[in-house]
Amino acid sequence: MSELPQQLINGLWQGAALALFAMGYTLVFGVLDIINLAQGATFMWGAFFAFICVTKLNWPIWYAIPVAMVGAGFLAVLLDRLAFKPLRSLTSGGLVLWGGFILLLVGMVGRWAFPVKTGITIAGAAVMLAGFVIDYRSIRPLRIREVPHLAPIISSIGATFILVSLAINEFGAQVSRFPANLFPVKPYHITADAVISPIQTLVLILSLALMLVLSLLINRTQMGRAIRAIAWSERTSRLLGINVDYVIAQTFFISGALAGAAGVLLGLAFNRLEPTMGGEVELAGLTVIIVGGMGSIGGAAMAAFLVGMIRVLSVAYIDSSFRDAFVFALLILVLLIRPSGIFGRSKAVRA
Amino acid sequence: MKARLFLFPMIFMLLLVCFTAIDVSSATAESASSLSGEIPIGAVWSMTGAAAVYGSTQKNASELAVEQINQSGMLGAAKIKLITEDDRSTKEGAITAFDKLIKEYKVVAILGPTLSNSAKAADPIAQAAKVPVLAVSNTAAGIVEMGDFIFRDSLPEMLVQPNTIKETKNKLGYKKVAILYGNDDVFTKGGYDAFKKALNDQGIQILATETFNKNDSDFSAQLTKIKGLKPDAIIVSALAEEAAGIMSQGRQLGIPESVPFIGGNGFNSPKLAQLAGPAAEGAITGAAWLISNDTPGNKAFVEAYNKKYGANPDQFAAQAYTGVYILANAIKTAGSSNPTAIRDAMAKIRDMDTVLGKFSFDARREPVHPPVVQIIKNGKFVLYK
Repeated sequence: MSELPQQLINGLWQGAALALFAMGYTLVFGVLDIINLAQGATFMWGAFFAFICVTKLNWPIWYAIPVAMVGAGFLAVLLDRLAFKPLRSLTSGGLVLWGGFILLLVGMVGRWAFPVKTGITIAGAAVMLAGFVIDYRSIRPLRIREVPHLAPIISSIGATFILVSLAINEFGAQVSRFPANLFPVKPYHITADAVISPIQTLVLILSLALMLVLSLLINRTQMGRAIRAIAWSERTSRLLGINVDYVIAQTFFISGALAGAAGVLLGLAFNRLEPTMGGEVELAGLTVIIVGGMGSIGGAAMAAFLVGMIRVLSVAYIDSSFRDAFVFALLILVLLIRPSGIFGRSKAVRA
Repeated sequence: MKARLFLFPMIFMLLLVCFTAIDVSSATAESASSLSGEIPIGAVWSMTGAAAVYGSTQKNASELAVEQINQSGMLGAAKIKLITEDDRSTKEGAITAFDKLIKEYKVVAILGPTLSNSAKAADPIAQAAKVPVLAVSNTAAGIVEMGDFIFRDSLPEMLVQPNTIKETKNKLGYKKVAILYGNDDVFTKGGYDAFKKALNDQGIQILATETFNKNDSDFSAQLTKIKGLKPDAIIVSALAEEAAGIMSQGRQLGIPESVPFIGGNGFNSPKLAQLAGPAAEGAITGAAWLISNDTPGNKAFVEAYNKKYGANPDQFAAQAYTGVYILANAIKTAGSSNPTAIRDAMAKIRDMDTVLGKFSFDARREPVHPPVVQIIKNGKFVLYK
């Protein structure tokens, strides 16, 4: 039994990082009723943004974490404009944005000599920026329609493929690592047997802090009120004069920044970055938000710790081969007994 | 007068040189009579994906060997043309690569693939097409059993592990160990089976057997459990990427340095020390080859590799390098580039001088040569004493 404190610590800090990821996931679902499966790819890019800052630009890791969060946040906003917004309401700006995006991809992937490649890439970025502005300013979209639930899921899977391929193109398929001596390795002793390393402490503290910030943001600020209003009814919010598109962009930014933070923190903790690293956390995150109740931010946080604990305790006391089986058994159990999730409520009450 | 004195010896010597030259050239022509042009040999390495660590050195070493063979004129007028394919560390990739090499490039033999997992999927294709396969890094059980065209020059875990366990047990005197292995990969699972058998044979108690999956990054739960059981040593059957994670996380959790990590073939890469840093110190593994080996041509091989690629070769490089030489030797002996003739010649190889030592194939086409045990000291593999 002496290993229990250590196992609880293992579960705790990993649960904290998972909670960050899942809260962003569930936030987007709460507001837009869509599951953004590209959240895992955003998570991965967050980690790689920090990686670029640390290895290419030689910045200290303290700058790299916020940079990664902001980068991943903007990536998520861009993702919304490319993969989700055109499904909700297609504007001419959206088409320009897509045109620019394709140009950018061609520029990044194509194998031309220096000026041509850079030129196309920059032109693509410029067209995208123009498209972004036109899209944002447009009042009358070309087409508005109710989105079937499946469409955004499929387009977010597509977005995942694009983001993962770009990462493979940029960093290679093998594992990349942060320099070894970013953090002291000497662990802190909690009890005689239980230790927590400095980086794990950082993950835990930063995750809890960001959770607090998010909860204040949602519950206490004007922006939070707007987000909650849209979650309840987009149409009513529009009538009340809320700039819905802007608030949705904010929501995506927050969600992306949280995923990015989780990416950097887990990337640092395991010191293992690879383009496919989003896959596993994606699946765990999906379980977490279903168990926690779709759209419930507090529920997602609680469920993340629950899943983290189940993962380590099933290894500690049952069998490591069945670790994931237990997590998914929990998922099925929750779906059978309480389809709205352990902490979930109906949509009207939630708002 | 002086000029005339020199004339006779000079003419004599010239004649001598001419005759010897003719003699040599006729001999070569005879042994490699039907060999000419380019002989296509395929190589399937994992150059991307989980096993990219191994695949890249294999590619380097095989290219080096081909270059040396072609320059030395070992095959007379013929030259080896190496066609390298990437299997992306997947079975599907290996199958595609084998298909392409056999049908499109009409290769006479195939080296690889890097992973045993892929070999089990792809080798039957070559067996059916009667193209010999020489595995240079597959160490799991059941490789050569796939057919009479399948060979390997990589010592299987079943031969290396008992030797590792015996030597380390004698010196460290451990009695109880814990095992951690990847249970979704033929190679790491095979390593586990070999270790388990060796441990049972030597009467060592296994306290716990923990598993993980390929691409897992978190091993803390398993390691915490192992730490609580206080084993004398921890046996790990994992690829270098995971092994590095296991060792760093294990030391971080406070598993004392007096408890060594003992690994299988997956440990055999200089990348392990590079990835795990100080946590890799004292890691022990059995191996087929060591850089400081005093085997024929080893020093020259290490130097040539270092000169060409600016890094030291590892065991996988040595085995891939040997693989090319074994094929070249078989082609030379067969005097033909017919796949079946090459297979027959290869099966007869006995006591060939290679960088791995005196090399033979046994009746089941398994390799026979002496294994070594090594330990990481100051970030480098040295002979375990």
